[in-house]
Amino acid sequence: MEESLLRVKEIGKHFGGLWAVNRASLDVARGSITALVGPNGSGKTTLFNVIFGLHKPDEGRVYFNGERIDHLAPHQVYAKGIVHAFQIPRLFYRLTVLDNMLLAARGHKGDGLLNSVVFRQGWQAQERELADKALELLNLLELDHLTLSPAGELSGGQRKLLEIGRALMAAPVLLLLDEPAAGVNPNLGRKIFERIELFRQRGLSFFIIEHRLEILFDFADWVYVMDRGKIAIEGKPEEVAKDSTFYKVYLGD
Amino acid sequence: MGLFVYSLDIIVFIGIFAIVALSLNLEYGFTGLGNFGKVAFFLAGAYTYAILMERTGIPFYLALIMAMLVSAGIGYLVSLPALRLREDYLAIVTLAIGEVLRLVVKTEDSIAHGVWGITVPPAIHWSGMSVLEMRMVNIGLVYFCLILCFIFFQLMTRSPYGRVLRAIREDEVAAEALGKNRVKYKAQVFMLGSALAGLGGGLYAQYMQYINPYMFLPMVTFTVWIMVIVGGPANNWGVLLGAGLVILFERGARIIKDYLLLPIDPINLQYILFGVLVIFLLAYRPQGLLKERQLETKAIEGVQKWKNRSSE
Repeated sequence: MEESLLRVKEIGKHFGGLWAVNRASLDVARGSITALVGPNGSGKTTLFNVIFGLHKPDEGRVYFNGERIDHLAPHQVYAKGIVHAFQIPRLFYRLTVLDNMLLAARGHKGDGLLNSVVFRQGWQAQERELADKALELLNLLELDHLTLSPAGELSGGQRKLLEIGRALMAAPVLLLLDEPAAGVNPNLGRKIFERIELFRQRGLSFFIIEHRLEILFDFADWVYVMDRGKIAIEGKPEEVAKDSTFYKVYLGD
Repeated sequence: MGLFVYSLDIIVFIGIFAIVALSLNLEYGFTGLGNFGKVAFFLAGAYTYAILMERTGIPFYLALIMAMLVSAGIGYLVSLPALRLREDYLAIVTLAIGEVLRLVVKTEDSIAHGVWGITVPPAIHWSGMSVLEMRMVNIGLVYFCLILCFIFFQLMTRSPYGRVLRAIREDEVAAEALGKNRVKYKAQVFMLGSALAGLGGGLYAQYMQYINPYMFLPMVTFTVWIMVIVGGPANNWGVLLGAGLVILFERGARIIKDYLLLPIDPINLQYILFGVLVIFLLAYRPQGLLKERQLETKAIEGVQKWKNRSSE
């Protein structure tokens, strides 16, 4: 296996008496599309929440580029280059599509209080560059005709695309995508994964939760199957698809 | 002549409350923080100014700056526990702080003579100064501060910083997931909002030249809220308009009471009318008289122009 970018080691997280994630370990290789699948309630989203800092793990460690990140807050994890896109898009619905994109930019000088009032020249050129970058991404996601509309006016599929676009806007190293193809029609679902593949070729790494296995398995390099908080099996998509445990996990004995 | 001096009084009040309403607009309109203890910071500013002016010989502008700093400090202390709470609990905590501060200055005579109130020497004074001249001096002072505040608020809210505040208002977890330190932003907003409410308080004490704890009832908070809701949350111009309208009605009712003999008390009637107005506004026009505008920086204006060209 290639060099590991994200290493999850023996992570455990419980809510009351229930261990949602129970000593799960896995690796995301640099430049890969790594998938996390499993039935509902198997702990996939909880594991994502631990990785991007929303939950503190009760045991275990998370390393990114060899550095421990399991004690950091979400905005600190973000600063390291891990960006998370929510399963149900959490857009800023009263703000425009462009504002949503610009908000995701990392290290925008105008985000500071003093700069916003006093040193306005300092960020205006940067904002222009970021706006150009946002337009380019929106163009790629076929959302450019909606640039100045409030995000609340977007359809379900478009919201999904914008959520991913926003994550890409941050110039991330690793993207955590929670069901990017859920709730959209099969064509759009495939299109979303084609975009993901495109960005992978540009050097990004992806860690994806997805139930649409017929699409996912065409694109993923490595698949982890999660069951009741544990990693049940892992392997290349074609190997996992042949494994009898995989069917047991989904369908029961 | 009497009515003319009265109308100058209205103008001063509009200026003072516009500053306080703008600060609430920053907290509630832009950032979504329901601060129901606005009067606490107004009181802190007013009393800081009054005490400094009565007991030390420092120039009035230093006393005003101190009023802002003390209010900001109290704002910071309140924000430490309060900003970790969910919205409705923030409202309860701030509401309580307002009453607690008022009761402290009311019962602790050593701070500012308790219920007897405290007299504030005028900032600028010459012998033989008429009421008219005094009002004009206050108008100059208040509107100088208001213009500075307004420019400051406009620059701040029409910038990427203002965009982050709006994002926190819409969905703070998503904002945090996009790398924005929500606790830091909210604390900054709370301190700034408190500082400017303190400035309003200082100007109020300076204009009234006498303050007592009964001038800082929770009703002050709600009056400022009405200004923001009527004018338009997240629209600084709207809030100026709201402050103007509310003060016009409120002070207007007092003038009517002095000049006309009515079978009902116009001051009480005005409270009823405000209540009805707020219910109707929230039901039928929650965005207020002037609604929030999309954020415009130079870069976004560039995109807009380019969009308009390409759609032609």
